[in-house]
Amino acid sequence: MAPSRSKPVTASTPRPIRKLLIANRGEIAVRIQRSCRDLGIETVAIYSDADRNALHVRFANQAVALGGNTPAESYLRGDRIIAAAKETGADAIHPGFGFLAENGEFADAVAAAGLAWVGPTAKSMEIMGDKLSSRRAMVAAKVPVVPGTTDAVDDPAAALRIAEGIGYPVMLKASAGGGGKGIRVVPSAQEMESAFSTASGEAQNAFGDGRMYLEKFLVSPRHIEIQVLGDKHGTVLHFGERECSLQRRHQKLIEEAPSPIIDEATRQRMGEAAVAAARAVNYHSAGTVEFLWSQGEFYFLEMNTRIQVEHGITEEVYGVDLISQMIRVAAGEKIDDCVGLVPRGHAIEVRLNAEDPDNGFLPSLGTVRNLRWPGGPGVRIDSGVYRGMEVTPYYDSMLAKLIAFGRDREQARRRMLRVLQELHVGGVKTSAGIALQLLQTEAFITGDYDTGFLERYVEGGREAPKREVTDDLERVAAIVAALHRQRAGARRPARSSQESSGGSNWLRAARLEQHGRSGR
Amino acid sequence: MKYFLKTQSDRRLEVEVAEDQGEQGFRLVVDGEECQAVLRDVDRLGQYALVLDGRSYAVSIEETDEQHLYVNIAGESWQVIAEDEREKAAGAIAAQGPPKAEQIKAAMPGVIISVSAEEGQTVGAGETVAVLEAMKMQNEVQSQHGGVVESLLVASGDRVEAGQVLIKLAPNPDAE
Repeated sequence: MAPSRSKPVTASTPRPIRKLLIANRGEIAVRIQRSCRDLGIETVAIYSDADRNALHVRFANQAVALGGNTPAESYLRGDRIIAAAKETGADAIHPGFGFLAENGEFADAVAAAGLAWVGPTAKSMEIMGDKLSSRRAMVAAKVPVVPGTTDAVDDPAAALRIAEGIGYPVMLKASAGGGGKGIRVVPSAQEMESAFSTASGEAQNAFGDGRMYLEKFLVSPRHIEIQVLGDKHGTVLHFGERECSLQRRHQKLIEEAPSPIIDEATRQRMGEAAVAAARAVNYHSAGTVEFLWSQGEFYFLEMNTRIQVEHGITEEVYGVDLISQMIRVAAGEKIDDCVGLVPRGHAIEVRLNAEDPDNGFLPSLGTVRNLRWPGGPGVRIDSGVYRGMEVTPYYDSMLAKLIAFGRDREQARRRMLRVLQELHVGGVKTSAGIALQLLQTEAFITGDYDTGFLERYVEGGREAPKREVTDDLERVAAIVAALHRQRAGARRPARSSQESSGGSNWLRAARLEQHGRSGR
Repeated sequence: MKYFLKTQSDRRLEVEVAEDQGEQGFRLVVDGEECQAVLRDVDRLGQYALVLDGRSYAVSIEETDEQHLYVNIAGESWQVIAEDEREKAAGAIAAQGPPKAEQIKAAMPGVIISVSAEEGQTVGAGETVAVLEAMKMQNEVQSQHGGVVESLLVASGDRVEAGQVLIKLAPNPDAE
């Protein structure tokens, strides 16, 4: 990872950050607070009514109430957040991810208020935030993009000509597109004419516009992204890749670094492309360049101009604290201490979401009644959850990130199995169970999976996990249920005679009367 | 006391508590096989320590109601329906007894895939009236006694909780 330098983005002199306001909540707010403590920086939390008791409020040195419950009433109120920073004497704002993290106007307003913005410039965000402008910038910077047309075509002859240049298979997409209508995969030139006319007809019917875009169809694509970090003095570095193909409807569930299919040469090529992408928009701070990888080639997808959920696995593999680096960059410092870092070992992350994988991954709301955290060698838990926490419908469902680190992929995988076996979250349903299954599938063990794997796994029914412990746990579970009932039955008559009136005891007593009390 | 267990994969088990030995635990007969078990409540919040025939398990239990439990062991979760002798007998007697009003309930949380019964329709005992998908498996919801459909309380696509009433039946006046 050789440092590459160019002209400085801004000629700023270092200005120390002593107090930082974190414009976020939950796990990422706690994560940022931890780096601040390491750096000796005071923190200011903001919170909604629903988050009064949240961990990020209790972990902060100061906390400012925004009121309201929905994001629009609270964490998206840029004006109030800047006012809170001014009131508390904070000198910088870290937006985390989500909410205002990729809002250029807010970034500008923060700077205009004389505060340091822990993130890239509004200009970088704007270019990368738009599909067309980012693609144009990438083509100019010679970063590979998915081959395709930028102008829609309206006849099969033109489509044939263009497809010849792209190479088959190609995908036809309605220019007015949406909802999967007017999309066709064309395997070869022979099928173009008929595919074009049906897709175009469908689009004409659905949208009143039969024109088509052509794009290379990627076979078994994988989502692989490169972490980059730049400072305000012209240094841009990359920190290798993260494999994020285990996702469903663009929601990632399990990530790992490095990717099981990327070799050192490809890593260098992708890293250089990512650095070129960042340079093309004069990027500083932490960012992620997402690529689609298919059959040995990679193509720019988009750049996320913020810290990402899964940054922790990169931190483990490279031995770097990316949040601290972002804060240092915002203060105008150089990232020279990151030059020459090499990856070591393997890290896997599982997102612990309050959702029900058995019910279409619908959010699972409720109170976290019971919590048993895993631990031991190679385990890192970044969490915002605690016993008694109310999981509300207002915010996203991520409770915590479970990270396992090992000297190689198999050790990391086995440690993650241990993590998921030790973990217990009671009161809400979580993604932990399905993650445990996925880690034991042949596809994960061999590393041979693509972005469609999780959906196929869910839709095709579950295969039994390849457990190593030979105990028949289903039988044990049934026996436990019997014992639990036996104990409950033995407890209830005793309690109703010992305790005086109480709603639930009355109810229990009444139930026992109905059933006829039996001496046990 | 004897318990009749059913897991979501329709595995059935009979567990007889042959002897309650207090602190020493229980002597069990599981499908005719003798076992020794100790189950201790760890935190009164749902965590238990189980020793079954000398093997140790960290167990968590979540109760939907008395008969419907989620049991979590080593990161895996099972839904178990547990009936005791009385409830099983009561169910059997009710099935043989005179016709009466019936409330057809969801045995487990899930999504209604289809409802085949219509209001006013007469359904027989054991007849399938709806299909409930839970844990990615489709389960037929059946009327126990039969009767005349009085009201349909759910439609296909609805999410339901365990124990939720799906369909109300009035007694069939023509039944003997």
